Amino acid sequence: MTAVPPPANISTLMPLELVDKCIGSRIHIIMKNDKEMVGTLLGFDDFVNMLLDDVTEYENTPDGRRITKLDQILLNGNNITMLVPGGELAE
Amino acid sequence: MSRKEALSQFINQIHGRPVAVKLNNGVDYRGVLACLDGYMNIALDQTEEYVNGQLKNKYGDAFIRGNNVLYISTQKRRV
Repeated sequence: MTAVPPPANISTLMPLELVDKCIGSRIHIIMKNDKEMVGTLLGFDDFVNMLLDDVTEYENTPDGRRITKLDQILLNGNNITMLVPGGELAE
Repeated sequence: MSRKEALSQFINQIHGRPVAVKLNNGVDYRGVLACLDGYMNIALDQTEEYVNGQLKNKYGDAFIRGNNVLYISTQKRRV
């Protein structure tokens, strides 16, 4: 009846702990609407709203990719789908 | 953990400063941040509305409902 605890020899990492480990390093954020952000993660909250520094925004539009450089942003967590540690775009 | 303080610090820091707000529909608003709350509802002063990077409108005062906000950015750099 009781939940089985994970074996002690396996180190488990909660998803948000992984994000927490990324604080201070570059992170790649994939958003819902063909948009991606790369920046240095400064912090995040319970909604996974994120504070990013030195940001590059990549928008995939019908006329090609649009790139915007931004200083510091508070990114709404609403449209975030995936977080990838490490800054480079995998292409 | 998770450095929530960094976010609240940023919010305190940008009050009264020029910011750029991007909405989910791609429209950009640049202005002086008058007010910001936990829903990311935003009040801007001296607001300029940019559609596809082109200035379309100016407002003295503007309220933006938080659900439309994609991000709030400080305005040091531009491309």
